[in-house]
Amino acid sequence: MAKRERRVGYGWPVLLAIGVHIVALMLTIIKWPESESDPTSSSVVQATLVRAETATDQPQQTEDSTPPASQPEEEDAPEPEESAPSESPEELASDSDAEVTDSALEEAKAEAQRLQEEAQRAAEQRAEAEAELKRQAEAEAERKRQAEAEAERKRQAEAEAERKRQAEAEAERKRQAEAEAERKRQAEAERKRQQELAERAAQANNSSLDSMISDEEQSIANARQASEAANGFKNLVRRYVEQSWNVPSSASSELRAIVRIQLLPTGELVSATITQSSGNSTFDHSVINAVEKAAPFREMRELDASVKGQFREFNLDFNPEDIR
Amino acid sequence: MNDSMSIPHLIMNASLIVQLVMLLLLAASIASWIIIFQRSIALRRAEKAYRDFEDHFWSGVDLNELYRDLPAEQESRGAEHVFRSGFREFNRLMPKTHSTDAVLEGVQRGQRVALSREEDRLQLHLTFLATVASASPYIGLFGTVWGIMGSFQSLSMAQQATLSTVAPWIAEALVATAMGLFAAIPAVIFYNRLSAHAGRLLGKYENFAEEFHAILHRNLQGRSEREAS
Repeated sequence: MAKRERRVGYGWPVLLAIGVHIVALMLTIIKWPESESDPTSSSVVQATLVRAETATDQPQQTEDSTPPASQPEEEDAPEPEESAPSESPEELASDSDAEVTDSALEEAKAEAQRLQEEAQRAAEQRAEAEAELKRQAEAEAERKRQAEAEAERKRQAEAEAERKRQAEAEAERKRQAEAEAERKRQAEAERKRQQELAERAAQANNSSLDSMISDEEQSIANARQASEAANGFKNLVRRYVEQSWNVPSSASSELRAIVRIQLLPTGELVSATITQSSGNSTFDHSVINAVEKAAPFREMRELDASVKGQFREFNLDFNPEDIR
Repeated sequence: MNDSMSIPHLIMNASLIVQLVMLLLLAASIASWIIIFQRSIALRRAEKAYRDFEDHFWSGVDLNELYRDLPAEQESRGAEHVFRSGFREFNRLMPKTHSTDAVLEGVQRGQRVALSREEDRLQLHLTFLATVASASPYIGLFGTVWGIMGSFQSLSMAQQATLSTVAPWIAEALVATAMGLFAAIPAVIFYNRLSAHAGRLLGKYENFAEEFHAILHRNLQGRSEREAS
């Protein structure tokens, strides 16, 4: 054996082993951007609130905006009516002419002359009157037409203005929505950047930083949603109660009960009392049962303190048709 | 919010015990991979060396010459080692005794010692692989159980038990089990593979020792008959 096999060292194996682990780590790191498509909402509550907002407010808005849009198309321009002129004055004139030529001779000449003149005058007068009448009628018609056209123009201008105003309002709404989206996007970007910074900066107290950031974000979101939350919460309560309401078979649509609900800040039910009875004890009972069954309204906890105050005590109006 | 579920983030946020378990498992994994690579290379080289030596041995070379060509005792490996220790014993005993049996017995003993040393050398560190393979899933499981215990303790403090409060804890606890399996699976596979390889090589050495023994036996038999005549 000319060449000796040396003992196998550990240098290469160590490098290879570390390489294997680095590759494995890379695979796990590369994988996660793909799997981040499904956003995990921080709490169930937020999701329901947003849904309530979109479910209740959006359709109302669209309902409000649609009827005026269709209004201007309905009105069509009425035809300006024209008054027809009466018989012509020439006919009468020729009639009287024939009468004059048929009349007697000399002594009747003057008479005839007179008559003729008279007739002529009369005819002229008549024609004049006739023409006057016609002119008046025509002027009247003209005035009418003009007034009509004026009115039409006015209406059109009005409709145009209305349309314009609506378009403007629409644009305004759109702009606001866009601004909102922009603000959201910026907030999102800001949040991302902050998160990244925080992550890179301090991995040791990572969790506390993250929770701080998420807290801040939560508070911003709360502030923005405060107003929606206020009526959103009422909608939620209404829906929950509706879902758990067992409407008695004897209930008719005339029955109506108002329930006073008192809640703790945590959403726990303190009491539910009938303030206006329907007169039907079964119905009253079912109403109280529904509220108690639906009871802890956990979403209460997410509300702002100011909004919370107004929901400590409120009324629910029960009617088999729907609950208000 | 999303990347709070990424694996590096989970590892960073785990509790101390779980992190220690993960560190241990990482070390075990790296060590087992070092052994896997080192043994693979060593066994492949040993096999190649054996093939070369066998070719050389059966090429009709004089055994005394072959013995002289080989390096010193400490550096010889594999079949060369077996041959060398056998032949040395043979050379030493030949002048001292005329008993064929005594010489052959001495040769056999020398070869047996060499073989057991070779076996030791071939299977060096393979037991570590076996240990990692069998123990690291349990270590990982320990980390997971500990992490889930922590998650339930913290859950008792929370007012509201939703899936999102439990999920990160359980995910980070499960990372420990995943790492245990990550260390154990290659260790199991390569332990079986490498020990089979080493066993096969050892069988070849033994075969060679028997053949060499047969050659010496034939030689001695011929000599004793010549002396007798």
